Amino acid sequence: MSTPVARSVPAAIRSVLARDRWALAGTVTVVVIGLVAIFANVLTAIEGHDPYTYDATALDPNTGLPAGSFGGVSAEHWFGVEPLTGRDLFAIVVHGARTSFLIGLLATLVSIGLGVLVGAAAGYLGGWIDRVITWSADVFLGFPYLVFMIALGAVVPAEFPRALLLIVVIGFFGWPSTARIVRAQVLTLKERNFVKAARVLGASPWQVFRTELLPNLWGPVLVMATLSVPGKIGLEAALSFLGVGVLPPTPSWGRSISAAIDWVSVDPAYLFFPGLALFAVTWGFNALGDGLRDALDPRSVTRR
Amino acid sequence: MPGKKLLAVVLIGALGVSACGANDQKPSDAAAAKPDKGGTLRILSESRTINFDPAKSQSLAITTLGLVHRRLTGWQNAVGQPAKVVPDLGDTGKTTDGGKTWTFVLQEGLKFSDGTPITSADVKWGVERSFAPAFGGGLGYHKDLLGGADYKGPFEGKELDSIETPDAKTITFKLTRPYGDWPWIASTPAFAPVPKGKGAEADYQEHAIASGPYQIATYSKGVEVKLSRNPNWDGSKDQVRAGLPDDVVIQLGQDASVVSQRLAADSGDDQSAFGASFTSPAQLAQLQANASAKSRVVTSKSGAIAYLALNTQKAPLNNPKVRQAFQYAVNKSAYQIASAGTAALAGDAATTLITQGIEGREQFDLYPSKPEGDPEKAKALLAEAGFANGLDGLSLVLNKSNNQTEKAEAIQAALARANIKVNIRSLEADAFETETNLSDNPTYDLTLSSWQPDFPSANANIQPLFATSEIGKGGYNISRYSNPEVDRLIEEAQSTVDATEAGKKWAAIDKRILEDSPVVPLIYTRNSFIHGSKVGNFFIADFPAYPNYLQVGITK
Amino acid sequence: MTKHVAARLGGMVLVLLIVAFCTYVVFYLVPSDPALLACGKPCTPENLALAREFMGFDEPWWQQFFTFLGGIFTGRTFGTGATAIHCSAPCFGYSFRQNTDVLELIAGRLPVTFSLAIGAAVLWVGVGVAVGVYAALRKDSWFDRAALAGSVIGVSAPVYLVGLLGILVLGFQLNVVPVGNYTPFAEDPVRWAWGLVLPWCVLAFAHGAHYVKLTRSQMLETMSEDFIRTARAKGVPERTVVGKHALRNVLLPVVTLTGIEFGSLLGGAVITERVFSLPGLGGLLIEAVHSRDLPTLLGCTLFAGFLVVVANAVVDLSYGLLDPRARLT
Repeated sequence: MSTPVARSVPAAIRSVLARDRWALAGTVTVVVIGLVAIFANVLTAIEGHDPYTYDATALDPNTGLPAGSFGGVSAEHWFGVEPLTGRDLFAIVVHGARTSFLIGLLATLVSIGLGVLVGAAAGYLGGWIDRVITWSADVFLGFPYLVFMIALGAVVPAEFPRALLLIVVIGFFGWPSTARIVRAQVLTLKERNFVKAARVLGASPWQVFRTELLPNLWGPVLVMATLSVPGKIGLEAALSFLGVGVLPPTPSWGRSISAAIDWVSVDPAYLFFPGLALFAVTWGFNALGDGLRDALDPRSVTRR
Repeated sequence: MPGKKLLAVVLIGALGVSACGANDQKPSDAAAAKPDKGGTLRILSESRTINFDPAKSQSLAITTLGLVHRRLTGWQNAVGQPAKVVPDLGDTGKTTDGGKTWTFVLQEGLKFSDGTPITSADVKWGVERSFAPAFGGGLGYHKDLLGGADYKGPFEGKELDSIETPDAKTITFKLTRPYGDWPWIASTPAFAPVPKGKGAEADYQEHAIASGPYQIATYSKGVEVKLSRNPNWDGSKDQVRAGLPDDVVIQLGQDASVVSQRLAADSGDDQSAFGASFTSPAQLAQLQANASAKSRVVTSKSGAIAYLALNTQKAPLNNPKVRQAFQYAVNKSAYQIASAGTAALAGDAATTLITQGIEGREQFDLYPSKPEGDPEKAKALLAEAGFANGLDGLSLVLNKSNNQTEKAEAIQAALARANIKVNIRSLEADAFETETNLSDNPTYDLTLSSWQPDFPSANANIQPLFATSEIGKGGYNISRYSNPEVDRLIEEAQSTVDATEAGKKWAAIDKRILEDSPVVPLIYTRNSFIHGSKVGNFFIADFPAYPNYLQVGITK
Repeated sequence: MTKHVAARLGGMVLVLLIVAFCTYVVFYLVPSDPALLACGKPCTPENLALAREFMGFDEPWWQQFFTFLGGIFTGRTFGTGATAIHCSAPCFGYSFRQNTDVLELIAGRLPVTFSLAIGAAVLWVGVGVAVGVYAALRKDSWFDRAALAGSVIGVSAPVYLVGLLGILVLGFQLNVVPVGNYTPFAEDPVRWAWGLVLPWCVLAFAHGAHYVKLTRSQMLETMSEDFIRTARAKGVPERTVVGKHALRNVLLPVVTLTGIEFGSLLGGAVITERVFSLPGLGGLLIEAVHSRDLPTLLGCTLFAGFLVVVANAVVDLSYGLLDPRARLT
């Protein structure tokens, strides 16, 4: 009974990619930028720069702006250079992709993992556990989390690995929405015969969760995950934009965008490249997620 | 960090830069046209609060606070001249016992904005008020000299015995030790008069009683302060304030880049406005393309000294030879680029501790090398000191809110050329200050800082940064430099009343300290400001590196 | 129902307490000293101790927290004698950095944030719902496709990026709209609206996208339901079918979403206000974070929590009232 749904996930992805051009375009974008993030070192080695080295010779000696037009874009510097420092913008954007993907994906993993476990526990076990979890979810949803993250980002000492902090914090605050959806799913699944049967046969809650519930949750979980990755990437960028994200000199799109504000009218390229990259990734994940949702809508999954 | 808490200026952001013209210091075109009396001057400030409470203020004598409050003495500054202390409410003070007792006589017929006469008792009350814990946060150079360690302000019913007011016009200060710069100290905010018995309320700053050309008309928190003419101010009795505009509007919380855009566009009310914040490199680059805007940028000739402090109490930097190596290892040229894009924008490379525009300053360079530094010489010095393989794992702390990361990275890269490996640790402002200024046992080896004297005397350049008494405990001696000989020389120079003689002594101390190399002077940081086309007489004198608000007027 | 409301209220208070406590603890862990500010220059240890005592920072942290809580009900007094500062109940702390009672600070900034949020919300709900409905009615038309593509872009583009582009193009290049100019409504309603046009549009673009998607899918679903078909079969005019029957079903989730988004308004305002340099609550919060102004921060966080909690509760309760089915779960 549970197997057809599990099998339907890859099948659904295939059919989405075959039918939905937007989803396909989104997937391609995500995969390309993902590869760029993975091979960031190789790409920057080919270009011949790293994101940290200052280069005064790439700057206009009269203003500190990049020498050359459109932010100093040239064969030497593919995306031009940063004003005042002369650091290579291509290297910064490419390594920034690494930061974004690392934090976005891992934070999603944390929040979805946590949300599924907690949500399933609430839905399946019921009783006081359910009440405590539902109430906690309400608390967390009522928490001004962006505010709190800003606060936390500002106070955690610089020695603490910043990426880890962001993953944990962004991931942790994401669990309640997942948990709510999963709980609702589990509540309906619980009444289904195959779950009832497993229970009657004496399966422990953990066994039921693994063998009966989880396979039926893959669809909605995948949709939720895909749709929440861009939010997480965006959150990292937003925090860096506000100056409480990853620390310099680690490249981050959000921080570059924030720094580029001041330069936007004289050096638009400085905003253009990191901005485009951030937009492309969020758009890619959203397009893919939308396509998947159409194919694997949580409601249709449970109805099946 | 001087200026950090100054009200009229915001150091957060760029540390100050200049337009391309390096030394072509002259009032801009608009300033050349003589401003008339009248009109409304607008000051666009990044800051959210303007503190018109003299006890809480660290404002320079020539900026915002000076529009509303007069002080015992004032500053006269002009382009091409060192700043001078001049009479304001009182004369410039007389001493009969070599600088320990100072007597000032107030002018006749001075009145507060409420019409009551300004007496010496009001000046005394103002100074006493600055000792109250409720009114902390201002410049407090006078506190120790007046022996007020246990004094908690006049609101508990006690007077400060070291200030005497034999009559309504005379005020005498009895200091704990001779102090030649006391007339300068008398120009700090706490020496503004507060009507005796008043000013107990925490929001005094919003309706402070004025002695200057303007009084506070409306004060909308965080948004705007409107100043209108003080009918009881007599211009003929005030030589430091022109008091030209009829009204002054200070708009608070203005985004610096928006201010720059607005002033560049120069339309409507913005024509009679100027920005109180430094124009950042990005903004300057933008203004280059706009001839009109470019002509309305005024750049200081010099400014605060930016320096790399070396923790002289921590190995291996407790060895003077090692510290001298740093003088050659740094790359002042890279520092200039990192701070403002170009050397001309950033300011001249610094070689002395006393900043330009201060009376008695002598130019010298104990460690001559190219602007890029001399890593080989640094290596040789390190080898002599027994570190043939260089140094490893030094920690450089910096204040995150001053945008110093790029600069610190430039220093890091420069030192690496001489095999000195540095780790950068950036802290928030408070944490930074706790570590550098308050900690008894800090862990940093290096730190970046900058200093602008709070009054135009070499004393204010040197004593706060290099006297043993200023180590930890809130002082700014962040290189933790302690040399009994220098302490003695500082005290000697401080007690010298004759300015020329004192100047010579300070110049000698400057050299003496740099021989020990507790800090590496980097640049004298330039500041640039932009104003609207109708703002006249907008100039930045040799000191301080800020426009003189008191002389600005509106042209018709 | 009364019991439900009471439980809800109790929960709200508890949530707020937890929010306050977490914020307090987080900021108390910082190795910094708020009294430094009032210490002056040069700052001697004696002055620092005086400043600490005056501000009440000399007490142990847990006691300070209870003092803070107590202040909400009874007000607080800092210092003694003539120079004492009174912060009357409800006292959410006193910012020594800004020399103001925190509640007053919040009240001063709130109109800006509300102006921003209300204008944008009207735009995004109005336009979002209209586009969503029209797209659903013309399913698979070019309009529908454009609306869908546009909404994915809207969802994907970070507010600050769109905002910056707007400022760059409309503000500085074309000089059509003013930038960084907030005029209070009471002073001049026209200038108020004109100054906020750009942020409204940008926010509406980003948020409206969700509404387009939501309305469209909800509309499609509703239109295929039995009662619509019945109504049509009965000969009810299409206008009435859409306007009266279908739309009512669509509005419920829209109201829910609006409520929740309005609750998280402060969080979003942080970024929007930074981009458009508006002097609102978000800006206050960021300033407080950067200047370590703990009382202001605590006040803002608590206020943000309050908004979210209230919005959630209102949505929850109205849901129960509007849709009888929801009460069962």
